[in-house]
Amino acid sequence: MMKKFFFGAVIFSFIFGLSRCRKAELFPEDDFDERLSGGSQTTFDFTAQAFSHAFAGLSGYDEGIHDLGDAHFEQSFVTAPAMFFGGLGPAYNNTSCVSCHHNDGKGVPNAGFAESSLLMRISTDGTDEHGGSIAVPGYGTQIQDKSVLGKFKEATVNINYSYQTFTFPDGEAYELRTPVYTLTDLHIPISVPYTLSPRLAPPVFGLGLLENISEMDIIANADLSDSNNDGISGKPNYVWDPVQSKMMLGRFGHKSNTATILTQVAAAYNNDMGITSSVFQNETTHGQSQTDLLADDPEVPDSILHAVKFYVQTLQVPARRNVNSAEVIRGKQLFDQAKCGVCHTPTFRTSVNVAFPAMSNQLIHPYTDLLVHDMGSGLADNRSDYRADGNEWRTAPLWGIGLYETVNYPAYYLHDGRARTLVEAVMWHDGEARSSVDFVKQLSTSDRKALFVFLKSL
Amino acid sequence: MKHTFLTLAIISILFSSGCKKEEVVTEPNNSQLEQDILNDFASDLVYPNYSEIYTRSNSMNALVQSFVTNPDEPTLELIRQAWKSTRSQWELSESYLFGPVDDFSYDPMMDTWPINHVDLDSLLSTTDALTPAYIATLPTSLKGFHPIEYLIFGLSGTRSAGDFTARELEYLSSLSTDLNSITLSLKNSWDPAQPGNFSVQLKTAGNGSNRFASRKDAFITIVNAMAGICDEVANGKMEDPLIAQDSLLEESQFSHNSLEDFTNNIRGVRNSYLCTFTTDGKGLNELVASMNISLDNSIRSKIEAAINSFSAIDPNYGRAIYYQQVQIMNTQSLINDLKSTLETDLIDFIQTNVKD
Repeated sequence: MMKKFFFGAVIFSFIFGLSRCRKAELFPEDDFDERLSGGSQTTFDFTAQAFSHAFAGLSGYDEGIHDLGDAHFEQSFVTAPAMFFGGLGPAYNNTSCVSCHHNDGKGVPNAGFAESSLLMRISTDGTDEHGGSIAVPGYGTQIQDKSVLGKFKEATVNINYSYQTFTFPDGEAYELRTPVYTLTDLHIPISVPYTLSPRLAPPVFGLGLLENISEMDIIANADLSDSNNDGISGKPNYVWDPVQSKMMLGRFGHKSNTATILTQVAAAYNNDMGITSSVFQNETTHGQSQTDLLADDPEVPDSILHAVKFYVQTLQVPARRNVNSAEVIRGKQLFDQAKCGVCHTPTFRTSVNVAFPAMSNQLIHPYTDLLVHDMGSGLADNRSDYRADGNEWRTAPLWGIGLYETVNYPAYYLHDGRARTLVEAVMWHDGEARSSVDFVKQLSTSDRKALFVFLKSL
Repeated sequence: MKHTFLTLAIISILFSSGCKKEEVVTEPNNSQLEQDILNDFASDLVYPNYSEIYTRSNSMNALVQSFVTNPDEPTLELIRQAWKSTRSQWELSESYLFGPVDDFSYDPMMDTWPINHVDLDSLLSTTDALTPAYIATLPTSLKGFHPIEYLIFGLSGTRSAGDFTARELEYLSSLSTDLNSITLSLKNSWDPAQPGNFSVQLKTAGNGSNRFASRKDAFITIVNAMAGICDEVANGKMEDPLIAQDSLLEESQFSHNSLEDFTNNIRGVRNSYLCTFTTDGKGLNELVASMNISLDNSIRSKIEAAINSFSAIDPNYGRAIYYQQVQIMNTQSLINDLKSTLETDLIDFIQTNVKD
């Protein structure tokens, strides 16, 4: 008996001693390490370059392709014919990728200036054979509000804001600005009904990881008929991909209207800069009297198109900060209680990708479900884009959002940059997010602060 | 007995000291030095550098406006010298392309490359009044240093005063005014006397700054910018014309000033590291040297080696690419070696040693 007691005491002491030796648990195991927003592709640079780091572990050859893409992402285009970098326009929105995606991040929500990063989609009633929007004659589906000299821009995009002040129950005020978008200086009259949809250039980091989430995992969160009665539906957008010539799950763009990074990059070259490629072979002014008749297409070769695609595919995600702060932990609890995470899905595991180990099987924390949701009439563009209706927008990824002010100062939020602070961005939510916003409204001052401190930690 | 007691006491002291768990190492407190370095970076380097760009741009603008009313060869030559002088200060400042120069796109407004030649010809063929206000609205490829360079040096670098058309003079006048205006905005953006200036943001890093959450972030930003310009010089500005064997890809091809541009870029890296401009401030080197003298020596020697290596290259870089590939590649290698040390060893040093 004594022997057993002694043996038990030794075991207890050993276990107790070991447990005493164990350091404090820093990170919850169910989230793996929640600082690692991009899994193994996470950077701990929290400066203005936080969105600009290449994936770790690339081969020397792949690093070279990444760097080539980086150089062309920054390259400014000029009017053709030119010895180098020709093909701009004739009508365009900006002269380089980086002109809109400053520091691989967001831009400025104005239009018509060199630093402008807001573009305007346009379409008329109805849908094409794939469910996509119908071009307005003479304008296509995007307003090019600049032109090379001697040619004409399609229109001037005017933005006018009205301002309204609101208060939280504790008396703290916030102001929401509501934009009104109009077109003037039309190059030809528009003879059909049309709707406009503003789109602010989003950050481009982490796209490779988002592209590598399996379709099955994304649609697992869809709930079109709201069968669980939580007021949140979540709809996958299926869109036509011109590269693969088939309908595919949309992941990119503010309405998830683009399926792949390659198509996104080619579309940006074409619509935003007027640069033709093998994917989009016609100038955006095709059919207009001013269209470029030069035999220089494609203006960007496939090698460069794919290098730029590879560049944005292989940009790391910044790590979270201050995850062990009591205020951040409290804010995260409130984020969950408000059901923000139902759409801003914190965690996915990327697919196994044997060809690309750096993106394969990564536990990532993008805080998006990549689905489109009804965000209410205040944010509605009233313009459908494939299956996304006029009230629906894709859940914006929140990873890195706490660094927007550092990378792109001043920071702007939401699809058109109308929100100047995270408070404004949250308070603009409506529709399926109505109950979440109501929850936020009734929070105490300290809890409300904790929620936004949590968002700043992302 | 007394001796026995004393002996026992000594033994027990020795024994107890032997039980001491571990040596307490006091880490050096560099907080004040770190603060001084950030203060001086803003006050003794960036603001004086931007002020100098403005001063020299102002001088160039006065010459340009004089030339426009009375085009003559001596004034044109003075403008060319003033362009190089202003550009030298701008190139030095490219080792810290962060803050307002980036936030408000002053960099592309002043230094977009290449020029849009087709549009430039179109512009000159129109009858639009080429006022400074009009120039301010033009795409960045039609304004800044390089269109001015094109006008005052010409394609072959030998333009004469009599070659200027009235439209070119009008364009040159407004281009120069516009550049001068941007350099003033840039200077003001770091002027400690101006509301909302960026110097305050750097000086209050980790202590109220809404741009730098910590001093560590501020130092990493500085080093990222140093490494960034090394990358741009070695792997962009030098590499593109070299690998294509095409001098049309040389950036300052009309003035043949590219090699001087490159050298000033790396001199700017030295200025950033040592915090030297017209006066010497406390530099990042002091922090590094205080804890890792071999790293400090390594960085300094690599900076000097890179700068000195430019002297082996023909000052006309557009010519050098055709016959001095080995010398150019040697310089590229030295700059890339410096870049690697900055973005690995120096960043690691900051991550490890800058605590707040």
